[in-house]
Amino acid sequence: MTHIDQVPTPGAPLPVEIGVKAGAARTNPFARVFDELVRFAQSRSLFMLHYCTGCGAVELPPAMTSRFDMERLGIQPMVSPRQADILLITGYVSVKTLKRVILTYEQMNSPKYVIGICSCTVNGGMYWQSYATAKKLNDYMPVDIYIAGCMPRPEAVIEGLRGLIENIRTGRADAWKDYYRRYDYYLGNQQRLFGADWQTSTDVIAEARHYDLFGPATLGAHTALLEQHQRPLEALEMRIEIPELMRRRSRSDQDGTAQ
Amino acid sequence: MTNELTTWLDTLLAELDGIEVRRTSRRRLRVEVASDALPALLELLRGRASFVHLSAISCVDWIDAGQFELVYHCWSYEIQSLVSVHTRIPREPGVYISVYDIYTPAAFFERDIHEMFGVWFEGSPDLSRFILTEWDGPPPMRKDFDSEAWVNQHFGWQDYHPDWLKDLEARGGGIAVPPNEQRFSRRTVDET
Repeated sequence: MTHIDQVPTPGAPLPVEIGVKAGAARTNPFARVFDELVRFAQSRSLFMLHYCTGCGAVELPPAMTSRFDMERLGIQPMVSPRQADILLITGYVSVKTLKRVILTYEQMNSPKYVIGICSCTVNGGMYWQSYATAKKLNDYMPVDIYIAGCMPRPEAVIEGLRGLIENIRTGRADAWKDYYRRYDYYLGNQQRLFGADWQTSTDVIAEARHYDLFGPATLGAHTALLEQHQRPLEALEMRIEIPELMRRRSRSDQDGTAQ
Repeated sequence: MTNELTTWLDTLLAELDGIEVRRTSRRRLRVEVASDALPALLELLRGRASFVHLSAISCVDWIDAGQFELVYHCWSYEIQSLVSVHTRIPREPGVYISVYDIYTPAAFFERDIHEMFGVWFEGSPDLSRFILTEWDGPPPMRKDFDSEAWVNQHFGWQDYHPDWLKDLEARGGGIAVPPNEQRFSRRTVDET
């Protein structure tokens, strides 16, 4: 983590305009109605990927199961980041884990929401002077809601989730847009921990253009650094290596050529 | 049988020169040995006294004495007892010999100690990064590593001082934190 000398300081977070841009406003008079309907539907069917990093994970089973029953709010656990709406970080995030958390976050589809549970995600908690844990989660990805406590009780977890639902319904839960608008800031903080050659398998800048969220703070000194070190993203080669299958296939190929 | 073996072990270790044996409890034996005699003692324990299981190697940084203390915890399934072999090596240059040839699992423990304390083990098969894969600073478990300074250099803090708490404090309530224990941005705000 001495990479810090190679990477310029990201500086203070820039203020960004929150809410719908004037240029992006729709001309359809019913758009607002549909937006509200869509937001209501979104807020009532949330799939949650819980990244159980620390001790806060033990408060989730009671929150999910019959005692407090998260599902009556429309929240269900989901197994893969591609299909999840909420990323729930439950506890301390070590620097090594943070890499995986960022990879997971970038794989999720927008709109996506991050909830930091426990004091550790807020300020490092009881690991505040540990060299190995990241302190502020919102230095590395935008966080919608923090649920403080060591650990928060299931009631507090449910209360936090209700807060998120309310924010989604009223259109205030747009922290995910911040990741695209100020990608340079988040990338800078990531580079300071992981080194200047840190690269994820997601092209965030292209996604920012796709969502029409590309702004003046999306690019900067750190994205320039990324471009210097970037290896081109390539699709993973699909390969099946089952000996029996390979043998059978080569045999059928030979038969084919013989005929 | 067990008692016999225990007595036999006590007698054997008492016969050896240059080691100091203390039985701390019925099943624990503390042995202090010079660093050059330790591999021979482990060889004896493993080969002749059924201590086939090396549970762990731990390291203590005695910075004032300028020494690292290495503790080899050996367990015998037959005598059901633990022998802790203590030895001390100079802190500089912090080089010691590997016991990988006696106990194979020592490779992991030595790799861990190399990562956390910077002790180099001659003959250990692999001393590359183990747990702290992103780390290239000084070994963090050494006593002269200032974790707090490191954290302040690498991470930022966020303050939580909402209006309702300010109201409480104005009325003499709130959570009183002594100034010397405040470590977040509030301290710098107060100073300026």
